Amino acid sequence: MKKQKMFLKMITASLIRRRSRMLVALLAIAVGATILSGLVTIYYDVPRQMGEQFRNYGANMIFTPAEGGALSQADIDEGLTCIPEDNVVGCAPYRYESVTIVERPYMAAGTNLSEVQKTSPYWNVDGAWPSVSGEILVGKNVASTFALKPGDSMTLSYDILSPDGKPATADETRDVPTRDMTFRVTGIFDTGGNEEDYVFLSVEDMTALTGEEGGFDVAELSVSASSEELQGYADAINSKSIPLSSRLVKRVTQSENTVLSKLQALVFLVTAIVLLLTMICVATTMMAVVTERRKEVGLRKALGASDASIIMEFMGEGLLLGGVGGLLGSFLGFAFAQAVSVNVFNSSITFHFLLVPLTMLVSILVTGLSCILPVRSAIDIDPALVLKGE
Amino acid sequence: MSLLEVKNVSKIYGPLKALDQVSLKVENGEWVAIMGPSGSGKSTMMNIIGCMDKPSQGEVLLDGADIAKESNKALTAIRRDKIGLIFQQFHLVNYLTAVENVMVSQYYHSMPDEKEALEALERVGLKDRAKHLPSQLSGGEQQRVCIARALINHPEIVLADEPTGNLDEANEGIVLELFKQLHREGTTLIVVTHDPEVAEEAQRTIVLEHGRLVREIVNENFKED
Ligand SMILES: Nc1ncnc2c1ncn2[C@@H]1O[C@H](COP(=O)(O)OP(=O)(O)OP(=O)(O)O)[C@@H](O)[C@H]1O
Ligand SMILES: [Mg+2]
Repeated sequence: MKKQKMFLKMITASLIRRRSRMLVALLAIAVGATILSGLVTIYYDVPRQMGEQFRNYGANMIFTPAEGGALSQADIDEGLTCIPEDNVVGCAPYRYESVTIVERPYMAAGTNLSEVQKTSPYWNVDGAWPSVSGEILVGKNVASTFALKPGDSMTLSYDILSPDGKPATADETRDVPTRDMTFRVTGIFDTGGNEEDYVFLSVEDMTALTGEEGGFDVAELSVSASSEELQGYADAINSKSIPLSSRLVKRVTQSENTVLSKLQALVFLVTAIVLLLTMICVATTMMAVVTERRKEVGLRKALGASDASIIMEFMGEGLLLGGVGGLLGSFLGFAFAQAVSVNVFNSSITFHFLLVPLTMLVSILVTGLSCILPVRSAIDIDPALVLKGE
Repeated sequence: MSLLEVKNVSKIYGPLKALDQVSLKVENGEWVAIMGPSGSGKSTMMNIIGCMDKPSQGEVLLDGADIAKESNKALTAIRRDKIGLIFQQFHLVNYLTAVENVMVSQYYHSMPDEKEALEALERVGLKDRAKHLPSQLSGGEQQRVCIARALINHPEIVLADEPTGNLDEANEGIVLELFKQLHREGTTLIVVTHDPEVAEEAQRTIVLEHGRLVREIVNENFKED
């Protein structure tokens, strides 16, 4: 037991009292460990982050009614039973109706606005989303046509009955009975898409405006799943006898996967290169340390140190450095990953405690490998040669 | 049987014979000085006796066993168990304190024992310097730490290569006084020196020149005081 104590005393004294040289090695290991733990954290977090990020570009699955019908809420709900509830990020059904605003025809969509926020989180709303009945969200183009600002009122007219069964068009001036409703504009949104020509209101307000409950034309879903899983859900839904068909928004889900696998390969490559560089740096430093301590090694040998003792002492120092560097690196790496996550993905990540011992283990392994050559050169030192003369 | 018997030992470096057919016997408890001009082979001789080097020819019997035939590993063990080394340049581990330096020797030999190490330092008059690093000690103090280290494992033979070469007169006196004490206690001492005053303290002086043992002087005035 006393022997171990002396061993620890020797290697810690060597590290502590000969700071500068060891700090270089420690720094190299800590940097390597930081990159390692940081990138591994990102590696595991990126799929989640990317998934969320891609979902920001819209829904990845849509339901459409079969053969010219309309979707009922019951059909949609039944379709949803094929997807695990936790994976459904949002499901927004849309009922489109033609309306006129100051004699001009527009499209109004009745939908579940809180679900739209989940399926289309990229919508940029100036103002607020409608929260109560009588409020409306207006597309940018509509708003600019009528110079609307959040807080303004606007009136939608709906043709109750047109003589030919069709809604009126702009150039017609027929005397059609209309139902007018006035809404308060809570927000103006831009999406970069043709939604900017629409107005959005709640399903209930749409029912009130048209005077009748109607089915939905389409439902957009945002599902958190891999593209294989998504396809599985879609197939399951289509094989059921519900009057709706389900399909994937292909472009998004596929690019999500290719980008992910490329990114992960890149992370893997960078980690490997960084570890290699760390190894070279530690090996060089340890080599310099051995050269610097030739006399000491010679002295220890002269005092009767066996090769095994010399190996143990240098490896002990190296592995201690590896452990401390790894410990430092695992925390710095988390900070690094967090910074990347916040800056790139705008969201924070959770600390994985398992990564601490893992990073330490890899650091110790890498240091151990880097110490092999320096330790071998220490064993080759001839005490008679290094101890004589100045 | 002599403690040490060197028989016709040569050490050859290419064209150079650093040692040339040297023979020498050292009895248990004897104090021998080795003198000679620079390059005459004194250190080479010490390295061979100290098991740090092997002769090119000849036998070196320590306790009757020929160390010239041993493996490096066995030589390390003999060095550890039987030999105490003192160098001109002290050679202390610079990041360990005086007492830790003494304990390093114990560590490789058997068990580090701080109490015993402190006693050894007390013996060389450095008890109050035990926690100092070598850089905080004078040359004479460093050499005394080395002496304490060489003695800690009770070696059969103490080899000192120019132990006073880097010391002033006062410190040389202290070191010689310690050697006298060791001799009284029965330690076998072989001391390489340039200094006739140091050699005079030994029982016997051998002189090397060009790798040959050219003279052997027995100190008539040597008194067992
Ligand atoms: N490893 C070596 N390789 C080649 N020649 C060596 C080696 N070691 C010693 N020599 C040579 O052997 C000779 C004896 O060297 P040694 O060190 O024994 O001398 P010394 O008597 O101790 O001298 P000094 O008083 O200067 O210490 C010298 O000429 C030296 O150059
Ligand atoms: Mg010499």
